[in-house]
Amino acid sequence: MSASLASRPLRAEVYLSTAQLAAASSLRPEQLARLIRAGLIEPRAPGTGEFTLSTAARLRRMLRLRRDLHVNLAGAAVIVDLVERLDQQEIELGRLRRAASA
Amino acid sequence: MAVKFRDYYGVLGVPRSATADDIKQAYRKLARAHHPDLQPIAERGRAAERFKEINEAYEVLGDVDRRARYDAVAAGHASGADFTPPSGGPRAGRTARPGGWQDVDDAEDVSDFFASLFGRPRGGGRGGREGRVVFPGADVEAELTVTLPNVLRGGRHRITVDGGRSLDVDIPAGVRDGTVLRLAGQGERGPGGGPPGDLFLHVRLAKDPRYRIVGHDLEMDVPLWPWQAVLGDAVQLDTPDGRVTLRVPAGTQGGRRLRLRGRGLPRPGGRRGDLHAVARIRIPERPSAAERAAYEALRRAAAAQAERPARGTA
Repeated sequence: MSASLASRPLRAEVYLSTAQLAAASSLRPEQLARLIRAGLIEPRAPGTGEFTLSTAARLRRMLRLRRDLHVNLAGAAVIVDLVERLDQQEIELGRLRRAASA
Repeated sequence: MAVKFRDYYGVLGVPRSATADDIKQAYRKLARAHHPDLQPIAERGRAAERFKEINEAYEVLGDVDRRARYDAVAAGHASGADFTPPSGGPRAGRTARPGGWQDVDDAEDVSDFFASLFGRPRGGGRGGREGRVVFPGADVEAELTVTLPNVLRGGRHRITVDGGRSLDVDIPAGVRDGTVLRLAGQGERGPGGGPPGDLFLHVRLAKDPRYRIVGHDLEMDVPLWPWQAVLGDAVQLDTPDGRVTLRVPAGTQGGRRLRLRGRGLPRPGGRRGDLHAVARIRIPERPSAAERAAYEALRRAAAAQAERPARGTA
């Protein structure tokens, strides 16, 4: 794998429409609309009707947690938030450890 | 078709006599502990495999009919032993659908052993594949810390990205702290089978207290004894390129920069910056009697000369 020098951003962020996000998550549009109304899924900015790919990833994760652990989606959203926070801390901790050992 | 026997009781950690409630409890507990979405980043890939096994085991033992069928063929088999499924093939009827990890809408993959007894679940059971929209996958960011010798020579690094996947990356010579490298197609998989995103690798340069980076040049200190500075010497210097001999001219003042051409950081054009060895005069902390006598003689010799203007302070 060879890496090339990049000056960012190389690709504009891809946004999904509500219909695309529903299709990507195997949800019916009205199911997705409910999640959006409940505030469990948020558009990239209010009123845009556009969603980031990380929102799509987050939604898929929530759906997996519901399917596998029988939590409801509100609970899954909390879990996903917490896991994201842990991920950040894990990355930060790794960075600090490397800095300390360098 | 011989397949490997799977010990589903062993996977869930319950005895063969376990009740339905025991099995459910064991499964729920394992599912919580091994769910890939709940693992540290590097362990997600491995957890996904384990989680798939746990689900498959529960799919069988959690269902009265399947459990009975499994028990009937399981007697006397050890985990991993060759297993020849009973003739007649998988029983027709309800197809099993263990929860796999992957995307929620992926076809679930089950072991050959499972399929030999219960059939293979059909993919796209959640509404079919028609009309699916395909998107490019998300870009992923990662960080890599490299050392100065790595930077000078370039070289291969193994990195681990989200999901526990590892990747060998050739780092080009001349990266700097903060350089971003793009690895095309190494980001997240695209939902619905779209092209993967890119991986952006942020390069950090490991701190090395011996060297200072000034533009494309490197700076390092070279400690000299007073007599080396006065009389000149050839000293061994550990540079990021390895050990080199530095010629110290006679009469080298503290702070003087001795240049080693072309031993700095790579420049865009391919040439390299310089390495500057900065003379630092050090004195013996505990001079021996002989050294003391020599310094006293030096003092007398200096005093005998007319007062010289002292340049700088030692």
